[in-house]
Amino acid sequence: MAISTADTAPVTTAPVPAKQAPPPRWRSREALTAWLFILPSLIGFLIFTAGPVVAAGVISLLNWNLFSAPTWAGLHNFARLGPDPTFWSALGSTAYFTLVSVPLTILVSLALALLLNQGLKRIAVFRSLLLLPYATITVAVAFVWIWLYIPHDGLVNAVLGWFGINGPAWLISDTWAMPALILMSVWKSFGFGMVVFLAGLQAIPQQLYEAGRVDGTSPWKSFRHITVPMLSPALFFVIVTSVIGSFQVFDQALIMTNGGPGTRTTTLVMYIYRTGFENYDQGYAAAQSLVLFAFIVLITAGQFLFQRKLVHYDN
Amino acid sequence: MSTNLTRRSVLQLGGLAGIALAAGCSSGPPAGTATWAMWSSSAAEKKVWEDFGKYVEKQLGVKSVATLTPSSGYPTKLDLQLVSGTASLVTALNGTLIPTYAARGAHRPLDDLIAADPDFKLDDFYETSRKISGFNGKTYAIGFDVAPTVMYYNKDLLKKQGVPLPSRTEPMSWATFRDLAKQLTKPGEQYGFTCAPAIDDLVSWIYCAGGNVMSADASRNTLGDPEAMEALQFVIDLFVKDKVTPPIKNLVTESSLSNFMQGNVAFMQNGPWQVVNARKAKFDWDIIPFPAGANGSTPRVSGSSFAIPSGVREGAELDLAWKLLKTLTSTGALDIYAKAGRNNPARLSAGSAFQPPPDNLGIVQDILAGKVAGGHAFDVTTNWNQVKQLLGQDLPRTFLGQVSVPEAINGLTPRLDVLMRQHLDTVRQATARKG
Repeated sequence: MAISTADTAPVTTAPVPAKQAPPPRWRSREALTAWLFILPSLIGFLIFTAGPVVAAGVISLLNWNLFSAPTWAGLHNFARLGPDPTFWSALGSTAYFTLVSVPLTILVSLALALLLNQGLKRIAVFRSLLLLPYATITVAVAFVWIWLYIPHDGLVNAVLGWFGINGPAWLISDTWAMPALILMSVWKSFGFGMVVFLAGLQAIPQQLYEAGRVDGTSPWKSFRHITVPMLSPALFFVIVTSVIGSFQVFDQALIMTNGGPGTRTTTLVMYIYRTGFENYDQGYAAAQSLVLFAFIVLITAGQFLFQRKLVHYDN
Repeated sequence: MSTNLTRRSVLQLGGLAGIALAAGCSSGPPAGTATWAMWSSSAAEKKVWEDFGKYVEKQLGVKSVATLTPSSGYPTKLDLQLVSGTASLVTALNGTLIPTYAARGAHRPLDDLIAADPDFKLDDFYETSRKISGFNGKTYAIGFDVAPTVMYYNKDLLKKQGVPLPSRTEPMSWATFRDLAKQLTKPGEQYGFTCAPAIDDLVSWIYCAGGNVMSADASRNTLGDPEAMEALQFVIDLFVKDKVTPPIKNLVTESSLSNFMQGNVAFMQNGPWQVVNARKAKFDWDIIPFPAGANGSTPRVSGSSFAIPSGVREGAELDLAWKLLKTLTSTGALDIYAKAGRNNPARLSAGSAFQPPPDNLGIVQDILAGKVAGGHAFDVTTNWNQVKQLLGQDLPRTFLGQVSVPEAINGLTPRLDVLMRQHLDTVRQATARKG
């Protein structure tokens, strides 16, 4: 049997035009639209954030009093940080503020979010009222709190007096000035965390709680094993932003205590501002700000590393 | 209803927005405008500067544009304008900051302009004002106000307590003042004295005791010297030991004027620049010379001035700046300032415009002229902000009794001496630049 080779012979067909490769993803219409949307924000970021960070890097290597031509200082401004007691005191005060105010703010925010999530009537009204301190200008709030903290006639000490407690002279006390600032800051900022937590709580599927109830889970276990893991992305977000914000605390300390008594409430940003704009030592101020930037970056990076184990994402 | 935007219309809108933005960011008033910068923290103050503006326009025949900024933010705004080259032709400066700006070359010396202008008489300005406006042997500014610290007293309160009114011209001794303050104090109800818990007020007592913040050559701080220590201890004792002052509630907001205006404080240490506010008091009051210490009554004399930034270009721009500065410090302008009661004018020829009340306001000019008591120009360094900041950290704690005066001064001395050495370096650099 002769075997036809027709089927196996190489088929010579007319050349087909090569299929055109799709444009790279970054040139696609969607990508261009996306770039257009983020462009205003990106431009703002480059001009007002990235640019100043780079500029601070350059200025930190100079001696510059704003008015005369700058001269090269190398790393001298960074070397000055070591023996500067006010820098370390300011760093310590800032760390103290952060370590106490962030956990307190998160606890208060979470507690209020849990309360508001209990199917309260007129939840929008409560939510708005509780958000008011956060929406109010810090300077205005600081002045109100100065009045609240007045040693003899202030509301805070009057309330303490009802319980037989003789309240301290808050803002001029070595011991109590920083706690007074922290208390005011917690009151001022809990609203933000509360709203984020409330949104997170409302996004938790109710079936999980129902399944827990079927299994006889106690409310605490339900909170521990359902609420906290499901809320962990929101918790992580609030912790990161609160820590960054706390390291940059400035206005309330400036208005309420001006950094005193002594340097008890002098925060790092306040010291940077004074060094740069009152003492005209721009190079040293830039060096301090870079150190603060490095602290914040390190702490935030640490938080991101830590979150891999603790933060639960649906996907 | 939906509207379809074409790419072209979006671009057109964007273009229009860009033009509007560019117009908003224009480089300021046109050349030939008399621009000047001043602090202003109240409507009444603003009115005075508006009147100054009208006066300038009338005298110079050009448009006057004043940049008014609240006093607390004024130095920062001025710094940024000086650095960015957008400062006004003439800028107001607090006397304590003139060496700071002059030493850094931010403002130009005026000696050449003064020498070339036969119409301008520097002699018509109080000597203390001229001293405050100079640095390193050169004139950097022309004063618009100058005044010594005085003692305000509540006449009604003294009369009510049966205390004879103090002499209008003879300063009382510190011992008499202390006794009076104690006699007039009823704890929780009425107080003998009030002043700000800060170096600006302490320094008057230090001068009266024969001391100073720094040595004559500014090579070291002298707060630890016996004279200064005596003065510091005297004032702190009034607060902590004698308790003749209203309790300090907050170091930041503590205001001697506000205490005095309550009507239950007998004496207040302050300058005549507060006369305009004290006139709102609901009681009868007056001023007397500052109490005399071992060195007599020689309290702080302070003032403010106008200066020309170094960035002002030679030629037409500098000509206009000089004419503007002369107009802002002319007798006519200072008459407006003094008639509004803002402060004692720096010019002798404008003095008659600073009129009572209070009855004894005339002592301000008598003190400056050396006819009554005396005064001491506020000695400052080229890094006065830093010195003041350092003193502002630790000294107020002595007013609270948290630390003793010797403890505070011992703690401050090494850091103050470092600042004094930095000041001397800055002066040396400024001198070398001048040479």
